[in-house]
Amino acid sequence: MENLALLEHTDTVNELLARYGVRFGIYKNNEFKEQLFPFDAIPRIIEEQEFAYLEKGLKQRVVALNLFLKDIYSKKQIVKDGVIPEDFIFASSGYMVECEGVTPPKDVYSHISGIDLVKGKDGQWYILEDNLRVPSGASYPMIARELCRRSSPDTFSELKIEDNRNYAKLLRRTFDNVNTGGHTVILTPGRYNAAYFEHSYLAEQTGAHLVNGSELVVKDDKLFFKTADQKLERVGAVYRRISDEYLDPMNFNPESLIGIPHIYDVFKKGNVALLNAPGNGVADDKGIYYFVPKMIKYYLNEEPILSNAPTYLPFYEDDYKYVLEHFDDLVLKDVAEAGGYGVVFGNTMTKQQKEDFLKLLEKEPRRFIAQEVIDFQDLDILEDGEPVPRKADLRAFVLMADEPLVWKSGLTRFSRNPDSFIVNSSQGGGFKDTWILSQ
Amino acid sequence: MKRLHLSYDMLIEYSKAVERCNFTIKCIPTDSMRQSISNVRISISPDVKYYYGKDGLNNIQIYGVNENSHKTFRFHLEADARTGLSEYEKDINDDLDMIFRHEHGLNTAGENIKSFYKDIWLLREADDYSKAKILMHELNANFKYVPLSTDVNTSAEEAFTQGHGVCQDYAHIFIALLHLAGISARYVTGFIVGEGQSHAWVEILHNNKWYGFDPTHDKIVTDGYIRLGIGRDAADCMINRGIMHGGGPHTQTITVQVNEIEK
Repeated sequence: MENLALLEHTDTVNELLARYGVRFGIYKNNEFKEQLFPFDAIPRIIEEQEFAYLEKGLKQRVVALNLFLKDIYSKKQIVKDGVIPEDFIFASSGYMVECEGVTPPKDVYSHISGIDLVKGKDGQWYILEDNLRVPSGASYPMIARELCRRSSPDTFSELKIEDNRNYAKLLRRTFDNVNTGGHTVILTPGRYNAAYFEHSYLAEQTGAHLVNGSELVVKDDKLFFKTADQKLERVGAVYRRISDEYLDPMNFNPESLIGIPHIYDVFKKGNVALLNAPGNGVADDKGIYYFVPKMIKYYLNEEPILSNAPTYLPFYEDDYKYVLEHFDDLVLKDVAEAGGYGVVFGNTMTKQQKEDFLKLLEKEPRRFIAQEVIDFQDLDILEDGEPVPRKADLRAFVLMADEPLVWKSGLTRFSRNPDSFIVNSSQGGGFKDTWILSQ
Repeated sequence: MKRLHLSYDMLIEYSKAVERCNFTIKCIPTDSMRQSISNVRISISPDVKYYYGKDGLNNIQIYGVNENSHKTFRFHLEADARTGLSEYEKDINDDLDMIFRHEHGLNTAGENIKSFYKDIWLLREADDYSKAKILMHELNANFKYVPLSTDVNTSAEEAFTQGHGVCQDYAHIFIALLHLAGISARYVTGFIVGEGQSHAWVEILHNNKWYGFDPTHDKIVTDGYIRLGIGRDAADCMINRGIMHGGGPHTQTITVQVNEIEK
């Protein structure tokens, strides 16, 4: 690997990424900062066989999650049958009563899912988290691959690697599957969003219009796009990159200025597809994560192919006891937080912090999950030209088109801090390309 | 059983012209086991095209956008109702029932409601209906009706802590107490015989049937009530929602009249 000509081009690729505007914006202390998302040229490589196994497991998981969403917003059979306690549904901030009884086109709720996995030192893959709302990140390995191909064409002619530049095609197929007639648009909150680069890049690659809320309008129970010369063109699918709350001020947060009034009413009538469907938060909550293997058995009558990280729910008395007894070995996560926030490691707390935390846990046991700290396999990154090991995860992208599709690549994120297990880009990590070998 | 006539009028007057206004109105009563609604007439002025839909809890809503400059907006509803057709409600689709077992938004109990609840003596063997009656009575005896002393965003705990409020607050606190007792409860908007504003009360689930309780008046809901909407709290059944471009400060006047129709 160290011999790859590609590695010599790390700086060139990073310069090109910067020139193309590949940035990651975050809000820190109420200030918007754009930072570069550093690229590391050593790819994560996954063998064909191993990826085929992941692919099977990921499809199974996302199919079950979609069935769960359909069930929760209609019959709630999984709750009635006692598989998931009501508390984990109706007290979850991701549950939206507005979505009750609403059927999205072709029953697809999570069209684009970002599933985060890690590979343990034992060689086993574990699911860390499901992201079914507006998962971002696919554009980074796409453009990185493109630039690497340019700077080091030989590498790619010598090795048999799945071409990941087909993501746009898969996405297009996903849009077309649910489009109710009309244009497909990508709805962005604007350039101050963390993933704005991605929105514009995916629009360019898929041929969809990039729009903001003020360019869309509801008329006669249909959605339209305002062209530059003020004509109205029908919209049949919206790949929206704004969160549920801000999507429609008439149905959700009334303060939203970036949403489109009545867009959800039009969606309910079946006159436009929203990707992903609103209300998905009830399925990717950290509390619900615990139940995903049970969902797979319940809906598909299959054994889960991919495992969760061993997880405990203090909500259950036995698990609560276990958490108290093994506190220092566990990582505790607030179910309502995301992006690497609200995560604490038992063994790094001071005595006072631990006491305070245990009080909170006793008061609100449903609010937390506890997980065994997985000893994940490190991946090498280049630091000053030398390889050093760092923690890394993999975000795999699963698309629900006419059939479930797994993108043969993914976003590998790593932590630049040698002591940190948190790899989120909002926490200052970097990324790698993910190569899936095709033989 | 009663035959009632309902007239509802909402007039919004803006100090400056509104250039564009999106509106969603949830103000159309529907048939249920207790009531049968007929002769519904709706008018909106200035005249504008509107569309029908349903919210997640099956409340009917009409919505639309008025793109002509206007200084007033008026919604008017007339309807006849036969009420008191049954003691209780039972929804054809009961998949939604479990939602109302959980605290949400404005009906969440805080420390003050919890400690008040602890001091109420409830027979463990009593059924949910009897418990609800006791809770309603205790609440009514310890909370004062003071018009305009709260607003639409006041939570159960805030209202309870200050010791007074309006029908919305009675309903929220009552729901919080019912949840503490493990009883499913939902917020109801509607109208009562006489002149005035819209009213709010509560339905509790007992033996898979929903019974109406009016905590503001400490009484069981009778044929003098017309049900409009249901929700977990007031926010779920807000009658009017709008986004205005322009308009400036405005006033809203609501006039409700419910009369018995002469036989």
